[in-house]
Amino acid sequence: MPRNVSQELRDSLVAQIGSLRAFAVSLCGDRDRADDLVQETLFKAWNHLDSFKEGTNLKAWLFTILRNTYFSERRKRKREVEDADGKYAARLASRPAQPGHMEMRDFQAALVQLPDDQREALVLVGAAGFSYEEAAEVSGCAVGTIKSRVNRARNRLADMLELDADDSGAPRAKIA
Amino acid sequence: MTANVSKERAGPQAAKAGAPREDGMSPALQAHIGRHVRAMFDEVADEPIPDHLLRLLQDLDKSGEK
Repeated sequence: MPRNVSQELRDSLVAQIGSLRAFAVSLCGDRDRADDLVQETLFKAWNHLDSFKEGTNLKAWLFTILRNTYFSERRKRKREVEDADGKYAARLASRPAQPGHMEMRDFQAALVQLPDDQREALVLVGAAGFSYEEAAEVSGCAVGTIKSRVNRARNRLADMLELDADDSGAPRAKIA
Repeated sequence: MTANVSKERAGPQAAKAGAPREDGMSPALQAHIGRHVRAMFDEVADEPIPDHLLRLLQDLDKSGEK
């Protein structure tokens, strides 16, 4: 990274680390691997800061690097070992949820069962604060694709958790 | 009871929660799911940043390039 990095840009990078970690955990379900991903992301970002236009969306740029890193590694890994989704679910489920929060635990367990692309879209839009347009940019797909992934993710979660249309928490009696 | 929105249970965000949206999900339920996704995300995002990640930027700065 040959050019001088302004303090402002550096501070902006640091300010995104927390969100990047949270995004990484939501993608891979593993704390240690998430931090490796963040480290790799920061490293790549730093070495490619020249290609970042200051004043544009740094957060989206960083998230893009992180998810591309994750998905390309995952594809590679998948070819080597069949890394079943079940393993991911087991890893995430085993990490302690908020203590005494059964509801949160159930939710977490349901979230990990979503397909990667749906979980990613839901987290980007529903938690990381991106607009549909920004999320589409990060994921490299059409805005409509993001919208439908988010919708499918929500509906699937509602199904899995047996949430009612009027629900704010309690599971409904199963409708046969 | 499946489809109607009970406003007293659903809280303030559901005030606008009349008809289900085009995707068939009520705003109340959508808000409920949103709160959970955010809670999970924020739980990690709000943790203190590990030192080695903070140091990384300093080290990169010193070394100039990889």
